[in-house]
Parts: sequence; structure tokens; C-alpha cells
Amino acid sequence: MTRISMRSVSKYFDGGDTVANYKLDMEVDDGEFVVFLGPSGCGKTTALRMIAGLEDLSEGEIYFDDDRVDGMPPADRNVAMVFQNYALYPHMTVRENIEYPLKVRGVPPEERDERIAQVAGLLHIEDQMDSDPGEISGGQRQRTSLARAIIREPSVFLLDEPLSNLDAKLRLEMRSELKRIQNELGITTVYVTHNQEEAMSMGDKIVVLNDGTIRQVAEPQELYQRPRTTWVAKFIGSPPMNLFEGENRDGTVQLAEGNTLPMPAETSSSTVSVGIRPEDIDVSIEPPDTDWTVPGTVKTVEPLGEFVLVNVEVGGSVVNVKVPKTDAEAGDHIHLTFDPTDAYLYDEDGELVA
Amino acid sequence: MSVESYLEDRLDRDVDGEKLTAILVFMLPGLTLFAIFSVGPMLYSAVGSFFTWDGFTIGQFAGFDTWVATFQDDAIINWSNLLAFQYPMGALPQNIIWMIVHVPFSTLLGLGLALLFADLRGRSILRSMVFLAFTTPTVVIGLVLLFVYDPQAGIFNGLLRGIGLESAVRNWVQEPQIAIYALIAGGVWVQTGFSMLLYSSALAGIDPALLESARVDGAGRFRRFKDIIWPLVKPVTAVVVIMSMIWVIRIFAIVYAAGGPSGGPGGVFSVLGLEVYQAAFSTPIEYSKAMVVALIELVIALPMAWYIASMD
Repeated sequence: MTRISMRSVSKYFDGGDTVANYKLDMEVDDGEFVVFLGPSGCGKTTALRMIAGLEDLSEGEIYFDDDRVDGMPPADRNVAMVFQNYALYPHMTVRENIEYPLKVRGVPPEERDERIAQVAGLLHIEDQMDSDPGEISGGQRQRTSLARAIIREPSVFLLDEPLSNLDAKLRLEMRSELKRIQNELGITTVYVTHNQEEAMSMGDKIVVLNDGTIRQVAEPQELYQRPRTTWVAKFIGSPPMNLFEGENRDGTVQLAEGNTLPMPAETSSSTVSVGIRPEDIDVSIEPPDTDWTVPGTVKTVEPLGEFVLVNVEVGGSVVNVKVPKTDAEAGDHIHLTFDPTDAYLYDEDGELVA
Repeated sequence: MSVESYLEDRLDRDVDGEKLTAILVFMLPGLTLFAIFSVGPMLYSAVGSFFTWDGFTIGQFAGFDTWVATFQDDAIINWSNLLAFQYPMGALPQNIIWMIVHVPFSTLLGLGLALLFADLRGRSILRSMVFLAFTTPTVVIGLVLLFVYDPQAGIFNGLLRGIGLESAVRNWVQEPQIAIYALIAGGVWVQTGFSMLLYSSALAGIDPALLESARVDGAGRFRRFKDIIWPLVKPVTAVVVIMSMIWVIRIFAIVYAAGGPSGGPGGVFSVLGLEVYQAAFSTPIEYSKAMVVALIELVIALPMAWYIASMD
């Protein structure tokens, strides 16, 4: 059981010209499932590889519990890693692949067989044990790679976009499977993905990264409800949060679109933005009896079955609205209404004010 | 199913007459050239080796006479020296010794250099330098070897003097019991470039995640090589080994340049190619012997060529 701490960890490539990670500070508690989430090129994989020991740190320290591990080779850290392309040894059968970490560590054959049978059962791959990796399906390869990772009971479990090569249905299935296994084993886990749905559904805690730095560390619900910056707000959610720019004037926010929201802003910034999630906005054809409204013109209406996505032009920009159903049609002049508690205020630096 | 219906089934199914004609027409030029320049001469020598020859004119049927004589010829196999392991042993055993020494050295050196250069800065320059020997005409290699082993000016003897082994200084290509190994070293130098190049591309084809995964699994350098790299480059090893065996069985120019048509003093490093040349082009012309020796070469090389060609 292990707690991971990263202290001011930076990684530079090309002699400092490329910054992959800059001053990462974070903790992963014992048995916690933490997700590194960010767009491609944000440095999340590099951060994971530094924990694994596959990349050296340029600056900073990494601790597993109280032991400093940066500088230790991966073999001495007792980490297990699942790679995006599974990295199964093509010349070994499924059984030999799973057995390999034990063999390398000199575990006696009888014990190996016992543990192989155990993980094979846990991951439901008993029937593929004598196949070559090339002969089995993507999902089975994924399970094999997971089995190889958990068989030696690592203290830290690292996953690098493990589901991205699977089709949508299998991905859903493996998502709950992974979560189940992690719950059962209670291994401290770091999971890298660019897929926010995966992150939200699996993570105990999500670390949002962009441009090599941590933007926010929060539980999924908090990340969704209180994104700390406009960048995170625009990154999380599908479609992402709508942002209205405006000016902060005597306890009100004067929107660029012309109307005023009675929103007291506790900030010295004169330019602010108001963020509202698409699912928190309502479309009203009649002028509503509230100050919390923004007028606009419907551009398109996309009925998606579960909900209707209405794209509304407000000022020069498009606002996405998710409603259960609507009578509005393209070209209609409508009013967007929302509850004041669903509106977030960001200052000119994009930091959350209220 | 009867044999007849089976054959009918095999023959008739999906045979498109027009397509077949087209295929044959397109293959004709290639097949013709192959017949004239490959199959023809092989059959010609196979038949010719059973006849007597007067110069290049065919004589009478001689049965296995030439074959028996060839295997009793000291230049081809010197049975008494072979049993005593004393050079000259004849071209055939010497050629095989060459193969036995040359192939493992050039293969392992090639692999070693490929591994060494894999993650090195300036690897393309280093690789080109090693590969240069393979691109050099083998006659030139033979001449270079003469310079290298020269007792006065040679770099090898200079090196020996430099490390204080004055007594070891000699003309290496003139020492009957050592000369062949001196030349084999040259052959290894040439072939290493080739095997290194094949191994380099094989190594580049290995997914780096496999090696990283093995590192995380706890495998050290040696285990990563033994468990991951070596099995994955195995197909290339087969190609490298067989290509060097074929290269050695065909070897001629290095030996000729270093020791002339006799293959060194008393033929101590003569090889099959040299014997073919001697029999066919120096007086007295023994055309049927040349054919027999060439066929021996072919019989050794053909299965290897077959193996390479039938690899997946």
C-alpha cells in the first residue's frame, strides 16, 4: 500500500527548449484511483512515465510513502504499467506474458501457476491462456495486459490510456471492469486519459493538466460543479460550459450582449466572464419574468433522443443549450434563462470568483 | 472421393483460360532469361560433369570418373592433412572451416554493433563506416588485407610492435597454419557491415513499449536482450546466417587477391571458387573438374537459398 507524492516535478526535453511538465505538486493517497486528464500533448503521459521510472526527472522529487524513488530504476519501484498498445510480448503466449514478471523476479514455478490461475480467473481469460497475443481480440489483449500488470501485486498501478484502442462498447465494459478490479485489489492507481467521460466515471480524484502544468485537482463532482478556471470549465463537459463576457459594474455584470445580470462580483477585475453549463440553461420563447436572462436567436436544433441540443446565437458567439424538449425552431428569437446558483463568475485571469 | 474426381476438382476449379494465357505471356521473358542463364548452365554442368572434355569440346561419357578423381584430388580434399588438421587440407574443408569460423563472428559482431549503435548519437555515421567495407569490391579488400598484414609496413604488425609483441610479428598471409584465419578476419570485417545493417533495421522495428514493459516487469539489460530482443530478431538472424554462409561458399576475390590462383603457399587458403577458376582457366584445362567443383558449391548453397526463399 503506497502513497505517491510528487514535489515540484519538472521535465524538460531538448536541453530545456521543450517543457513537458512544470512544477507538478500532487499526492495520490493509498489505494486511491487518480486520473490524469488533459488534451494530447499536455504532459500527462510524461508525468506517468516519471512515476514509472521510464523518464528521468529534470527537477523535483517523487516519493512512494517516505521513500524517495526518483533515480531508482523501474524494477525497484514495484510499479506495474499498462501501455496504450498493451505491449504484449508477441513471441510469448498469453500465459507466458502473464508469467513473465514473476519469472524475472524468480518466483518459484508452483507459486507462479497458482497466481496465474488466480488472475486469469479475475480477468476471465482462462480460455485464451495458450493463444498468441496476435490471435486474440483487442479486449482480451487488454485483459492480458492487465493480468500481467496485477499478477505481481504491485504497490502502484499505472495505466496509460489503456482503453483508447478499444471500440466504444468494449470500452464501457472494460471501464467498469477496471474499476471493479481496482476496488477489489485496492492498489494505488494512476490512470492517464484524454477522455473526460472515463476520467469522471472512474477517478476518485482527477488531475487536470494543460501545457505541462496542473490546472485543478478535484473529485469528479467538484470538477464538474466548480471548475476553478475558465480553461477547466471549457474542457470539462460535453458540450462544454458557455462563457459570456461582460463588465463588472457596481454589483452587476453588464454583458457584452447588452443586458445586465444582477450579479455582485467580489473582484477588482473590470472584465469578467459568466459561465453556465448547457444543461443549466432553459429556452423560453416568451420574455421571462426574471433578470437572469439573455436574449438570442436559435441557429440549429439537434434532437439527440435523450435531450435536445439547441445552438443559440448570442452576440457574435454560439451558446449550447441542452433541454429535454423544446418548441423553438431555427430562426426564432428566444430568451435563455437560468438559475443564479448555476452561474459561475470568472475574473479577467480566468480564475473562479464565485 | 476418387482420385479422378479429386484431380478434376483441383484442375478445373476457377481456372480462367484467358487469365492463365495472360500470366504465361507476362512470365515468358523472365522465364526465358532464367532458363538461359540459370537453369541451362546448371543442367549443362550437371550433364557435362559425366563426360570427358578436350579443352571446351565435349568428349566421351566417363560416368563418375571425374567425380571420384575430384574427391581424391589433394587440392579439393587432402584426406591425410584433414585427419591431422594440418593446412593445406584442400579447398572443400577449408571453405567449410571458413564458414564455421566466419558466420558466428560476423553475425554476433553485427548484432553487437547494431545494439551498440541503436541509441547512440551519430549512429548513421558509425553505421556507414562499418557498412563501407561491404560496399568495397572484395578484390580491394584482399589487397587491403595484404597491406594490413605486411611484416614491415602493415598496421597489424605495427600494432603488435606497439604493445610489445615483437616476437609475434610475421607475414600473416604467408604462414601456412594461420593464413586462412587472417583472411577470415577480413571476411568478417566485410560481412559484419551487412549483418549490422539488417539487425539495425530489425531493432528499429521492435516496439519500444515492449522493452519499457520488460523494464517495469523487472528485467535487467541482459534479460531484456535474452527474453525480448533476441527472440524478436530471430527471423533476421536466420537471414543473416544463411546469407553469410552463401557469401562464404561463393568467396573468391579476397582469396585470389591475397594469394593468387594457387590460394596461398601450397593452397593453404584455397577455396572452392578458386579451384573452379583454376580448373577451367589455367593449363591444363580440366573443364569437367571445374563443373564438378561448381556443382559441389551449388549443392551446398541451394538448400540455403531454398530456405531463405521459403521464409515467411
